[in-house]
Amino acid sequence: MENPGISKYTTSFGLSLALASVANGLLVIAKESSPTVQAGMQKITGHHWITHSVVILAVFLGGGWLFAQLNDGQGIKMSAGRLLNTVVRGVAIGGLLIVGFYLIGD
Amino acid sequence: MNEIILMTHVLFGVACVITTVWVFVDVLNFSDANLARVRKMSCLAATFMWLAFLVGGYWYVNFYKTDKAIILKGPWPFAHDFFMESKEHLVIMLLMLVTYLPIAAASNLSVSQDVRRVVLWISGIIVLLALMMEGDGAAIAMGVKMGLLAR
Repeated sequence: MENPGISKYTTSFGLSLALASVANGLLVIAKESSPTVQAGMQKITGHHWITHSVVILAVFLGGGWLFAQLNDGQGIKMSAGRLLNTVVRGVAIGGLLIVGFYLIGD
Repeated sequence: MNEIILMTHVLFGVACVITTVWVFVDVLNFSDANLARVRKMSCLAATFMWLAFLVGGYWYVNFYKTDKAIILKGPWPFAHDFFMESKEHLVIMLLMLVTYLPIAAASNLSVSQDVRRVVLWISGIIVLLALMMEGDGAAIAMGVKMGLLAR
């Protein structure tokens, strides 16, 4: 569905934000549950948190750029309501994964 | 120097909250007259958040070890185990949200109320998450204080 006023970057980076937020939560669980993953991340940049930040920001920025290239360069078409729904859900799931993990899983 | 770096991190974080609240209120009372200001303040919020993130990240990587040891030996180990651990990862999400704010504000806000709703929600989530980060920071500082008092 097309939306007057909404830019292709608003849609593509919004979807990417939702995706990267969930990926952020999953990466937290992966590295905290597996010493091998954490050691590997530590080795790449010298600190696991720096590697974590770089990976997630790369997913966000790369994903946003990639989604904007789809559909012959016009980007993904989506209503503002559906986009907002996706972003809010992605951020909520990502946040709950992190808080939930440190509250009960760790 | 260590303390100044930490206070600068807090200062930029607060500046990000203030500018994002500004965006929220301007979008809530939107007119063509404040479109340029919404976009400027969105960029400013993103700049403040990136500065807070970089300064805080530098402090965390280089200086936090000492505070962590004090917290873990003290009566409030959860100040690290829960508050710091969740803060250091939730802040990445906050950084992405604030980076997204000027991108969303670049859409034609005058044409569609739906698009304004996206900016309104994003700025609202940023403010809530940023206030949560401020609270986490306070709990971590209290964890250090409790650890020092128990010595």
